[in-house]
Amino acid sequence: MLACHVRNCTKDNFPLAFADVELVVKPAEENLDFLRRFLPKLDWRALVDTARSLGDTALPDDMPATWTDEQLQALHHVLLEIHVEEGKMICRGCGHVYPIQNGIPNMLLAEHEISR
Amino acid sequence: MPLYFLRVSLEHLSFRIPELLSIAKLFEFELKILSTDIYRGVIVIEVDKDEYVERILDRGVLVISVSKLYAEATNYEDLHAQLKEKRELFEPDLDACFKITLECVNNRPLDKRYRQVVEDFSWTELRGKIDLKNPDIEFVVLEDYDHVTLHTRQARLDRDGKFQKVYFGKRMGFSRARPVINVQDIKQRAFYGNTSMEAEMGLLLAGQALLIYDPFVGTGSLLYAVAHWGASVIGSDIDARQFRGKQKGKDVTPGIFRAAAAYGYDQRFLDVVAFDVTHGPWRRGGFLDAIVTDPPYGVRAGAKRLGKSTTRKRNTLRDEPYQFDDGTFAHERPGYLPPSKPYELVDLTLDLVQLSRYLLVPGGRLVFFLPTVNDDFEHVDVPVVEGMREVKHEDGSLQDFGKWGRRLITMEKTATDDGPMPTFGDHSELTEERLPGHHQFNKRYLEGFKPREGGEGSEETSEAEEQAPAEEMAQLKV
Repeated sequence: MLACHVRNCTKDNFPLAFADVELVVKPAEENLDFLRRFLPKLDWRALVDTARSLGDTALPDDMPATWTDEQLQALHHVLLEIHVEEGKMICRGCGHVYPIQNGIPNMLLAEHEISR
Repeated sequence: MPLYFLRVSLEHLSFRIPELLSIAKLFEFELKILSTDIYRGVIVIEVDKDEYVERILDRGVLVISVSKLYAEATNYEDLHAQLKEKRELFEPDLDACFKITLECVNNRPLDKRYRQVVEDFSWTELRGKIDLKNPDIEFVVLEDYDHVTLHTRQARLDRDGKFQKVYFGKRMGFSRARPVINVQDIKQRAFYGNTSMEAEMGLLLAGQALLIYDPFVGTGSLLYAVAHWGASVIGSDIDARQFRGKQKGKDVTPGIFRAAAAYGYDQRFLDVVAFDVTHGPWRRGGFLDAIVTDPPYGVRAGAKRLGKSTTRKRNTLRDEPYQFDDGTFAHERPGYLPPSKPYELVDLTLDLVQLSRYLLVPGGRLVFFLPTVNDDFEHVDVPVVEGMREVKHEDGSLQDFGKWGRRLITMEKTATDDGPMPTFGDHSELTEERLPGHHQFNKRYLEGFKPREGGEGSEETSEAEEQAPAEEMAQLKV
C-alpha cells in the first residue's frame, strides 16, 4: 500500500522493490471477510510481483474472479503473515532507500526530498 | 418494553450516554434513556430484551452493573407499597437461592441500617435458601445520594439514609468490559511512554471496525484497546523511538509489539511505520474502517512535522543533499533524522479530518481528542470538511480538567469517493476570523490559560499599528 513520496518522484514510484531482506512469518488472525473486502483496493500485479520477489509463488498471475478459501488463505499468508524484519525498500523511480529495522519501515524523507 | 437501571461510573460523565448509544447502534437495538438527570450515578434505560443488556455488559466500559427495574421511589414506604402491588414480579424466584444487596451511590451504608433495609423485605416471603456468596438470584436495593463533601464523621452518619432516590430490582450482571481497564493498566504494561493514554479512555474509543489506523500512534495505548475488541490495527508516527523503545539492535522486538504480545493482541498488530502524516506514503485512499487517534497537543511531547522551523538560523530546506568532507551524504548515515518543525494544533486537526476523508471507506469513522481551553471553546472550532459529518450527542463528550479539557470528536465519512490526497498546506485562514479554543494550546497551557485579551490581543494591535503607518506612507506616495 505504500508508494514513494519523495518530492518530484511521480514515475515508477510504486511498488517499492525489496532488497537484502530477512523474512519472518508471524501468524495473524484469519479474517477472510476482511480480506474479501480488501480485494478491490489491491494492485494485484504489484502484489504478485512483490510476493514472488520475496519467494512466495502461491498467488496466481491474474486475480481470480471467484475466490476459494484456499486462495484466500494464500493471500492472507502473503498480506498479513510474511513480515520483512530487516532490509530495504527501494524506489524504482528515484532510487530512494527506505530502511526496515526490526520490522518497522522508516518512511521519513531526507531534508532535500521534502515537498515544499 | 422492560426497564433497567444501570449503575454507572462517576468518571467521564459526558461519555456515558454516548457510550450506551454507540453500543446500541453497534448491535442494532433500540435503547431509550429515561433518566432526566443524566449526570447521576444511576441511569434508567429501556430496551426490548434481556439479550441486549448482555451486549451492554459486554462492551460498557463505564457501566458497573445492570439490574432489571422493579420499582423506584423517593422513600422506602413508597417503594414497598409499589412492590406490594407488583408481587407477581417475585413469583418466578420464590424458591430460588437468593440474596438482597444494598448499594449506595456517593455513600456507604451503616451495617445496622443495611440489615434493617434487607429485613424490611421479609414480606416478600421468599422461601429460597439465602446464600451471600453464590446466590442464583440477587436483588439490589440501590440508594442514590447527591455528591457532597462532608468533613465530620457525625455529618456522614447523619446523612446515611437521606438519599434522593431508591431503586429496587434484580441484578442482570456486572460489566465484563470494565475489568479490562485494569488488565490494560498502563503501570502493568510491558512498554509505555511518558505520555501514554489511560486505558479507560482507550477502551471507550474502540468501535467495531475491522481495520483501524492511528496516525499518531506514539506508544500505541489506543491501539491495544482497539485491538481488544478484535480489530486489526496499523499505526504510524513521525518519531519511531516512541514505539521502538530503548533497546536497539537486531532481533529486538520493538516495544509496541512486546506490549501487544503481552496482551495477546500481537496477531492483530499488522504494522507500525515511521513517517510524517503530512508527508505520507499512502498509495491510495478509501481502505480504512476507522481512524482513532489522540493527536499530540504539543505540551509534553511536542507535535512535529517535517520541515524547517522558522526560528532556526538556516530556515529554508536544502535542495541538494548535504555532503560531508569525506564524501558521504548526511541522509545516508545511520541514525539520520530529518529536520522537523512544530505542528500547530489548528493545522493538525484540519489536516487530520481531510486525511480521514481521503483514507476512510464511505461510512468510516474518525475518532479523536481535541484539547481545548474550556472558556474559549465554541462548537465552530471543530473543523468542517466537505464529506465528513460530526456525530455527537447533545453538547458532545468532554474530559474536563478544569481550565482545559479534551473533547472527543467523532466524525463519519459521508462522501462516497476518496477525493484527492490532501495537500497539508497552510491553514492560516482558519485563525483569521476567530482563534479556536485549541489555537497555540501548548503555549497557553504553559501560561496557565490566561485569558487571551491580555497576551495575544496586544500583540495583534501592535502588529496592526505597524501596518497602519505603512499604509499611510503608501497613500502619501500616491
